[in-house]
Amino acid sequence: MTLSLDRLDQVVTALGTVLAPEQILTSKTDRYNRARVPAPFPVHRWAERLPDLAVLPTSTEQVAAVVRIANDLRIPVVPRDGGTGLTDGAVPLRGGIVVDVKRMNQIHELDLVNRTVTVGTGINMLKLNEELSRHGLIYPDDPASYPCSLVGGRIGTSGWSLIGSRYGHTRDLVLSFDIVLPTGDILHVGDGIGRKITKSSSGYQLKHLFMGHQGTLGIATRATLKLFPKPEAELSPFWAFDNYDDAYACTGALARAGVATFAGAVLFDEHKVAYLRRDDEAYIPQPSDVRALVCAVLYGYEDEVRAGGKRLFRIAREHGARYLGDEISAGDWAARHDRYATPLHGRTKQGQVVPMSWHCEDSAINYSQLPRVTKAWHEIIARLRRTTDVFDDWGMFAYTQGATGADYLTEIDVGIWEQQLDDAAWELWVNAKREIAAVAIAAGGSISACHGSCREGEVDLVPDELGRGFDVMLDIKRTLDPNNIMNPGKYLLDRAYPGSAR
Amino acid sequence: MTQIEPDHAPTDSLSTAFTPGMTDNPADLADFPETIALPLTSRAPDARTAEFTEQWRNASYNCYSSGHKFCREVCPVMQVTRNESWTPTAFHANVVAMDRGELEITDVADDYVNCTQCGACEVRCPNTLFTGDFYRFRTRTVDVVKAVRALAVENGIHQSGWRTWNERTDTDTHEPVLGDVRVSQEHVRDWSAGLDLPIGGEAVLFVDCEAAFYRTSVPRAVAQILRLAGYEFGLMGEQWCCGGPAAEMGYVDQARRFAEHNLANWRSTGTKRVLVLDPHDYISFTEDYPKYFGADFDIEIVLVVELFADLIRQGRLTPTVPIDRAITYHDPCRLNKRKGIWAEPREILRAIPGLAFTDVDRVTQWSYCSGGGGGLPIEKPELTAAISANRVAKARQLDVDTLVSACPWSERPLSAAGAAQDIDVVDIHELLAQSLGLDIGTAVGGGAR
Repeated sequence: MTLSLDRLDQVVTALGTVLAPEQILTSKTDRYNRARVPAPFPVHRWAERLPDLAVLPTSTEQVAAVVRIANDLRIPVVPRDGGTGLTDGAVPLRGGIVVDVKRMNQIHELDLVNRTVTVGTGINMLKLNEELSRHGLIYPDDPASYPCSLVGGRIGTSGWSLIGSRYGHTRDLVLSFDIVLPTGDILHVGDGIGRKITKSSSGYQLKHLFMGHQGTLGIATRATLKLFPKPEAELSPFWAFDNYDDAYACTGALARAGVATFAGAVLFDEHKVAYLRRDDEAYIPQPSDVRALVCAVLYGYEDEVRAGGKRLFRIAREHGARYLGDEISAGDWAARHDRYATPLHGRTKQGQVVPMSWHCEDSAINYSQLPRVTKAWHEIIARLRRTTDVFDDWGMFAYTQGATGADYLTEIDVGIWEQQLDDAAWELWVNAKREIAAVAIAAGGSISACHGSCREGEVDLVPDELGRGFDVMLDIKRTLDPNNIMNPGKYLLDRAYPGSAR
Repeated sequence: MTQIEPDHAPTDSLSTAFTPGMTDNPADLADFPETIALPLTSRAPDARTAEFTEQWRNASYNCYSSGHKFCREVCPVMQVTRNESWTPTAFHANVVAMDRGELEITDVADDYVNCTQCGACEVRCPNTLFTGDFYRFRTRTVDVVKAVRALAVENGIHQSGWRTWNERTDTDTHEPVLGDVRVSQEHVRDWSAGLDLPIGGEAVLFVDCEAAFYRTSVPRAVAQILRLAGYEFGLMGEQWCCGGPAAEMGYVDQARRFAEHNLANWRSTGTKRVLVLDPHDYISFTEDYPKYFGADFDIEIVLVVELFADLIRQGRLTPTVPIDRAITYHDPCRLNKRKGIWAEPREILRAIPGLAFTDVDRVTQWSYCSGGGGGLPIEKPELTAAISANRVAKARQLDVDTLVSACPWSERPLSAAGAAQDIDVVDIHELLAQSLGLDIGTAVGGGAR
């Protein structure tokens, strides 16, 4: 909380001119429950992350009016959608107004002829697909948080879709959107000015600029999305290997095969298999010589999935894979994908089970660099564990990004016993996070393929990663947000305002 | 710049994948001194809250630690309010904050009104989905909400509607379901007028509050179906409210007193088996009473809708009168989400000739609710109405004319919403009675005395 009571009254009074009283939330629980996202959160410093108030607007115009007031009064604004992000875009660092868009969850237009849907950004993808399925259609943006994340948050983070190798990721699937800029102006961005155009060469390509900014450039309020026929068939084979190297080679070969229905492959490393074996109740135990796993998934019409599947099975066989069978394959994909389950407990080094929070640290890494990065990241977590049992190594996944297998979303899952967090543990974590990011950059990768990179620790390296591009970020930020009110404190963007108090 | 491979990477046992706790693990795993993790203590400002947070600390942390708020879009209250402060996740996170001394019961109490105790969040929780099948684990959000409500009452924090409701229940031994019209012990069996039902016996039919005073045609249908099947039963000697609603609203001492009365009364009439038509009573008798009385609770609880499905299977009931309705079935939350009972009502409906039955599967219905539970209609009738309107709109999409429910508490709000959307709301027991050729009749002049 940063505002004095007088100032808070002034803000609430001003907001009262554009919102109903029940759209303005000021209680302690309203604020405590809009301070956090599932990214590693310094629970011991929760009170420092509180907004001063939250609002629940129902239209683009209301959002614009709120932002104009905030800009006039120089009050920070933090956009909040699902609040399921794994970097801390939705966490208020300077108090201010949380603009929570969850009430903007209407379906405005379903265009069956051009295969698009226009929605409020507060809508959830699963809920949207419940409606679309009545028309045999699907919006295939499929993050791990699919049942709870919202379209607007996907735009703000430019997120990753688990089946993106087949359908593309959020940036490909969102055609255009309205965004309220930090001054309260409303901008429509897409390819060109059209709402339903998928490819334009007219002017600068602004759409990508307003995706993945973690709420620092504005608040998306209404979006037009690309739709696909709901796939008739799913095939999700799981294969076991007795060593990581063969599994790694197999994953690359599957991704390079060029099978059109291929929607993604996932590589489980030895630490991941060891973790699943010890702590994952949904894991169907395999013999101890199983040390790595690979799964692939295909979607499409039954005849094309069958043909593509045959080819992938042949490739897997050539790499020494042992197929786990139809039942385990379907069950494991349901557990990993449909349920997206993850056990929320880890162990001390001595074997004591403790409740832990699952934290997934991701980077974009080229195929050739995966083994080195895997090794280096595990060593970073091993170093944490030499000091304390607050951290546990839950192994690594690598997900194919596109149909060609150039680069991978590479993640290390770290169990954090958040109940035990204090300043010392937090500092250990932030340093580890910085090292994880440094390894990714040194390997020619990017700090994040999916979550974003604006958290403590990793964010220090963003200027290194982007080079001159980071200066361009500062120029854009200063131009669009002259008073630094939009989600201030993120991405080192304070550097755009030399001489300011911060 | 950090190098990818450190120059002098240590080569101790932590550098390779291992399984903590195995007896053949390398000995050096025991040599690392712990520098941070300590035994946890509550930072709540008073002993009562500290005791509470210590009890619920890990249950709530298991939710807090999950990034996957799958509960949110299935929560009926969240669906109509879109307010993150009133989500299952918030109800757990608040407990974590109380444990850390950040929030107090006075800060959180009012938020906990916004829950129908339907249990959707629990079945949709990844933690439950993951471990529920084999380990029977279930995230305990309903219990956390009840516990916070109880802590509020213990601390003298009351919701005015709930306080009045429970005071009147305490005075009249039944919930004030008729508003200004008083209910009383004297009239609790009025619904059975003309049916000549005996009192007491080995099996009794328990009919309280909403069914006894407001939806009286439901128990009339049930009693006549039982009689038609030749099932012997009586009515309770002196029946009080089951106590469940008081427990749900935090008035735990009163709930316990009512339970003690009912158990003693069953004992006094030699009752061994209690037939239940109301899913809310079913929760009280199968979850609350065993908690109160432990092994001493030796009463068999029979859910009427399950019994009827069984009697149809045995051929003791055969619905023959065709009913010309296009229906869909509303899974009552306490049956479907809380108890996993969804098959038997569908069996009954499929046995009724003439019905055009468009079913919606039980998992889809996790996100449906009437809004009638958990005391919500007493404090926030506008939310109940919005939730019911949502539910009826789902039925409306199916081109049906009738929504069938198996829960008397759902039928009042659903009927109100149905009237606005041209959908009839009918009770499954009444529908069965009709197909069995029974004339349910109306209660005039009081029932068994």
